[in-house]
Amino acid sequence: MSRCVLLIEDDTTMADYIARGLGEAGYAVERCGTGRDGLFRATDGGFDLVILDRMLPELDGLSVLRSMRAAGIRTPVLMLTALGSVDERVRGLREGADDYLAKPFSFAELAARAEALLRRPAETRDETVLACADLRVDLATRRATRGSREIALRPREFQMLAYLLQRKGRVVTRTMLLEALWDYHFDPQTNVIEVHISKLRKKIDGPGEPPLIRTVRGAGYKIDEPG
Amino acid sequence: MLRTATSRLIAAYLALFSLSTALVLGVFTWQSTALIAGETRDVLAAEVEGLAEQYAAGGVLGLAQTIARRLDRAAERDAIYLLTDGYGERITGNLAAWPPTVRAGGAPIELELYRIDSERPVMVAAVAFRLPGGERLLVGRDARARALYERALWQAAIWATGLAALLSLAAGWLLSRFVMGRIGEIRRTASEIVAGDLSRRVPLRGTDDEFDRLNATLNAMLDRIAGLVENLRAVTDSLAHDLRSPLTRLRALTAEFAEPELAPEARERLAVRAQAEAEAMLRQLTALIEISRAEAGVGREAFEPVDLAALAEDAADLYAPAAEDRGVALQLSAAPAEIRGHPQLLAQALSNLLENALRYAPEGSAIRLETGIELGMPVLRVADAGPGIPAAERARVLQRFVTLDPSRGAGSGLGLALVAAIAKLHGARLTLADSRAAADRPRPADCPGLADCPGLDVTLGFPAPQRARIARNSAGPTP
Repeated sequence: MSRCVLLIEDDTTMADYIARGLGEAGYAVERCGTGRDGLFRATDGGFDLVILDRMLPELDGLSVLRSMRAAGIRTPVLMLTALGSVDERVRGLREGADDYLAKPFSFAELAARAEALLRRPAETRDETVLACADLRVDLATRRATRGSREIALRPREFQMLAYLLQRKGRVVTRTMLLEALWDYHFDPQTNVIEVHISKLRKKIDGPGEPPLIRTVRGAGYKIDEPG
Repeated sequence: MLRTATSRLIAAYLALFSLSTALVLGVFTWQSTALIAGETRDVLAAEVEGLAEQYAAGGVLGLAQTIARRLDRAAERDAIYLLTDGYGERITGNLAAWPPTVRAGGAPIELELYRIDSERPVMVAAVAFRLPGGERLLVGRDARARALYERALWQAAIWATGLAALLSLAAGWLLSRFVMGRIGEIRRTASEIVAGDLSRRVPLRGTDDEFDRLNATLNAMLDRIAGLVENLRAVTDSLAHDLRSPLTRLRALTAEFAEPELAPEARERLAVRAQAEAEAMLRQLTALIEISRAEAGVGREAFEPVDLAALAEDAADLYAPAAEDRGVALQLSAAPAEIRGHPQLLAQALSNLLENALRYAPEGSAIRLETGIELGMPVLRVADAGPGIPAAERARVLQRFVTLDPSRGAGSGLGLALVAAIAKLHGARLTLADSRAAADRPRPADCPGLADCPGLDVTLGFPAPQRARIARNSAGPTP
């Protein structure tokens, strides 16, 4: 079953770009160009995700979001904003957006976040033991093992691994990691996350063991069963 | 004329002042005339009583004799008597006949009467009554002197009121001239600024009065606006300048990309380079917007308590692996230091400082990240043992797009500018100095003498929490 995304964006170039990408990724996309129209369609229901631009004609994105939430519509919302400053992002989240993405973004980033929002209900299952191949992470005892080998992880490494495992098979971007683990809503210039990932890789992939964390070019990382 | 605020003010002032003067003087005059009238009544009453005794003792004749005696006395010139029989025939007194308007037995009254010895009527306060034998007696006092006095009093009051009105008019005029003069200065300055000369300022007289203080505040506001305009101009100028070269490169890349017989690998390389150029431009744009927002004071409304130590721990945690990769030790010494601030912007400032330090720290050296209270001031410090910044260049590097060592590359020239803007937003003092970390570090190979590698201490000294709150309030309403 293909999932339905409502795209509310007035900039046609941007909307084309997003709609094409989402279409190729197998989503059914419905588009509208004004806030009023968008709100009308969103209240119709039947969507799995709403991608909402912050600046819209007739009714701005924040108002659309507020009205949707007031009408009891719980569909996940991904907000888009032009050159988002740190404050803008935090405000969008506070107003009830489920995630926030600042323009310009790469399509990979948008896709990763959309995927994360669509799959979210699964996360809420209270799994205490996460696994991938022979890697096991126990959230209750905070232990990680690969096969019979105990892996000593620093607290942040443990969080990072758990975050990746909870999204097994899905792309996790650098900014998603920065936001989730450090609450940093800006992009450091240095490749700090890459370094963290490579340290984590060294710890979980012993000699001869198949690597579990993969780099998805131009997007981020993904932990998945080897094969 | 009445349309101007000052003339209305003068009118109100005039009305109020005149009215109060008139009221005070009126009450005063009325009181004193009432007092004198009362005194006359008392005298009359005493006299009537004396005459009644005479009548009781000597009858009409005795009374007539007493009256005649009194009239002869020079001292009694103001006294008026008239004694008539039951039919109104005059027995004695200095009035020719009983005045028809005076009823015997009535209350004391005032009226004009002709005395026997006077051609003109005189003002008289009189009381009349009927004696037990049917005779009628009128006792009065010449009220001329009193009336004169009263008139003089009333006249004085009216003159004084008029004079007061005149004075208040003059005072109001002078005051308005002064006020209008000072306001006129402000208005003229404002018109000149409207006409395009943003450098104009309201003149100060050095009197430190309300107007001088108002003008000083206005000038400070104008300075701030001029500063912001200058900033904006600088931003657009440098933006235009700085984006021109990457845009030109980008255009060249896309032109090359359009070549029909291009190998796929070459095409891919071009795409990657174009993407990198675009990324760099977008980064700069984002940084510039953050700087402008911070400098304009946006974000102050989102201030909350922030522990610098926790901030430093998070950042150290994020950067430690990257530092390790470069062979640099990241030493954290975080003592609690609570401030009010914007956690995201502070984290970003710290991240910029750490990235700078990482870029310049020689292999084998250490970067120190310290927080704590120094001299009562919450402090955040990043110290490296790199080449440092010469004292003469320290102010300059805080400006946008200034990089000292192009060979080190990578830097956008906006990192420290953003740190400076964030410091300013927090009312914090940003100081750059030679590093103390440089003195006791292991000497790296590419930096043989300490003089060549003084290192850099970047310190953010925050106002203590309660002072931070005051600074926030005095900054006025934020947009």
